[in-house]
Amino acid sequence: MSRQHGATWPFGRLRASGYLGRQRRMGILLILPALVVMFAVLGYPIVSSIVLSLQHVEPGGGKFSGTWVGLANYLNIPSDPAFGTALSNSIYFTAIEVIVVVSLGLAVAMLLNHPLGRSAFFRVILLIPWALAPVANAVIWKWIYNANYGILNYVLHDLGIINQYVVWLGDPRLALNSLLVADIWKSIPFIALLLLAGLQNVPPILYRAARLDGASAWQTFRFVTLPQMRTTILICVVLQSIWALKVFDLIYVLTKGGPADGTVLLNFLSYRETFDFGDFGYGAALADVLFVMMFVLALIYLRVFRPTSGARQAGA
Amino acid sequence: MDPREQENVIRMSRRNFLLRSAGVGAGLMVVGALPAFLAACSSSSSSGGPGASGGGALTTLNVLAPAAPDPAPPGVAKFSDTIVAAFNKWQTDNSAKVVYEAPPWPQLHDKMQTAFASGNPPWDVVYMSGWVPEFASDIVPISDMLPADLKADLPPSSFSTTTWDGKTYGVVFTLSLMTLFYNTEHFAAAGITEPPKTWDDLKTYVKELTKPGQYGWVLNYGAPEGIGGTASYWMIYLQQAGGKMYGPDGMPVFNDTPGVDALQLMVDLQAAGTDPGSISYVGINDATNVFTAGKASMMMNWPFTWMPAQDPTTSKIVGKIGDALLPAGPNGTASIDGTDAWTITTASKNPELAMKLIEFYLDPAVQKSQAIDTGWLPIRLSVLNDPEVQAKATNAQTVLAQSQHPYDSFVTPDYNQVTQALGTEIQKALKGDSTAAQAIKDASDQVTAIVKSRT
Repeated sequence: MSRQHGATWPFGRLRASGYLGRQRRMGILLILPALVVMFAVLGYPIVSSIVLSLQHVEPGGGKFSGTWVGLANYLNIPSDPAFGTALSNSIYFTAIEVIVVVSLGLAVAMLLNHPLGRSAFFRVILLIPWALAPVANAVIWKWIYNANYGILNYVLHDLGIINQYVVWLGDPRLALNSLLVADIWKSIPFIALLLLAGLQNVPPILYRAARLDGASAWQTFRFVTLPQMRTTILICVVLQSIWALKVFDLIYVLTKGGPADGTVLLNFLSYRETFDFGDFGYGAALADVLFVMMFVLALIYLRVFRPTSGARQAGA
Repeated sequence: MDPREQENVIRMSRRNFLLRSAGVGAGLMVVGALPAFLAACSSSSSSGGPGASGGGALTTLNVLAPAAPDPAPPGVAKFSDTIVAAFNKWQTDNSAKVVYEAPPWPQLHDKMQTAFASGNPPWDVVYMSGWVPEFASDIVPISDMLPADLKADLPPSSFSTTTWDGKTYGVVFTLSLMTLFYNTEHFAAAGITEPPKTWDDLKTYVKELTKPGQYGWVLNYGAPEGIGGTASYWMIYLQQAGGKMYGPDGMPVFNDTPGVDALQLMVDLQAAGTDPGSISYVGINDATNVFTAGKASMMMNWPFTWMPAQDPTTSKIVGKIGDALLPAGPNGTASIDGTDAWTITTASKNPELAMKLIEFYLDPAVQKSQAIDTGWLPIRLSVLNDPEVQAKATNAQTVLAQSQHPYDSFVTPDYNQVTQALGTEIQKALKGDSTAAQAIKDASDQVTAIVKSRT
């Protein structure tokens, strides 16, 4: 496909006459209802949120009216110390979570791909953390981390690893890392299954060729598995980044953002400003900043998923 | 929808309602959960709305109340059984049908925030906890609607947290002040014969009572905001030290000696023997569990905890609990108010009937049953002084005595924001990341900015 053709796709094709042109126009017509619904349920809230973020809203007295303040809410964001904390916490949380979840997920996927690990039983067991309701997961971890009764302290103390019980949620940095562990535990299964699907698509002939060439296990992983898994890993990285940025339930149940705002992430901060403090305009501005961050990640995701020109031609 | 189907949707048995309420309320703060006991008495829905209505000429009253706590305090079912007949009679006599929406307590504020913001709240009667100033434009002044005999039977100070800009918007239905709970067995073992009366006593006792496996003091400092949050506990000490949150002009005045002394006491207690887990406990239940397990010797607590603490199925210290006035600071003892109140929304089409329902909730018989069966103390003075109530709710005298001293919760329209800022700085001091003086100064600066942005 030529570069010019790529720039006009798909509209150029819509204008095409003949059977293919009619087929494409019919296709667009058939997905139109779905597009309308999508714009209604996704587009309206997004636009509404942006409009809200440009106002100072004073709810009350049965009114929900605001005064236009332009970009004032956005301009206030950099000087808000809570935003700085939430942003750095979000970046740290997302970066560590993505690295650990994808790494461990890949390790788990490789184990499940091993002939000894292919039993359906292991996959069912693996799915349990992912299948748990988020709030139920948070409550479980709340008890695991309990400073007095938590099983974690009990086990570590009995093993002689700690001399006295640790207040896992009592220190800002430790609390954030504790939340990370809980979220990583819940996130690994889905990512592992995605990676497993990717692993199973690696042509076995490449492994046979590597063996014939005398490649070690590490060399096989480094020069066969990883390159073949590149797209799948990228998708996992983007998806997990979006999910990590959206974490809310764990914070709400375990720490309420504390201690000393140590576990406030952008999502929670937006909630707090909007629903706790009633500052709908500023809360919407924070949510929109988060939306832009996730939108960029989603664009990357789309870029990774975009069919190659060859595939489009083949489809045509 | 077929009327029979609708009936199936909106009707829940009392047992199912309590079970469901207990489920969704797991681990959540229970302040103000009492109204759900009343919800259990009606042919009610946990998700009623404006569309939910009774048949015939019945007038529907929609009530927003918190769900029952988990674990449900003993006596809940009995409380419900006792008043169910009276409640049904009230509905019949008034041609009314009461439909409850009972979300878990922590969701109440958010639910109100969004519903009031929409301009179309679906409720007639709404439970409030310190949010009257915030939602003052969404609820109606009721001082003129209150019968004189009822008003005369309520402590005048109980209206302080439901009054804003000179107008009274709600009626508190339970006397809910924090008092001191202590473990008498721990005291006896340490040779302590009476509860601490002063700050110095408190610090000394906490130190003496702390030993391996046991802490002298426990409280929930994990959540900074709201009634029962870190900041509200500091407000107790602030009043005991003779300080105030706001001056006559509404601006903060707590960056002074009493303000710093109040926080320094909290820091000193931390070092003396507060359960280190306190900084991670986000609800009073978390701290109460430590106390009722016999792992902590003292704590501040609400009256509703008294009866569960005496229940052998949930407590290991049955018969070993004493209660007393909170230890006095330089200015004497003081407390805060739980501020559990009923209000009527401006959206209500039947405010008079809604007021009658509130009067039913405050009926002496209901108030008496509330105290005897659930441990939630009545607000009516006549019921508080009832010998039967005092015999059953043995903490009533202490709470009544505590109410003779200051118990201002300093609620304002931006109470959540103020307590969030204040509580976060207090947490920093408790963690040793800031001095008491610095934390109070930083908090004062933030609260000043918050108040200025409101005014």
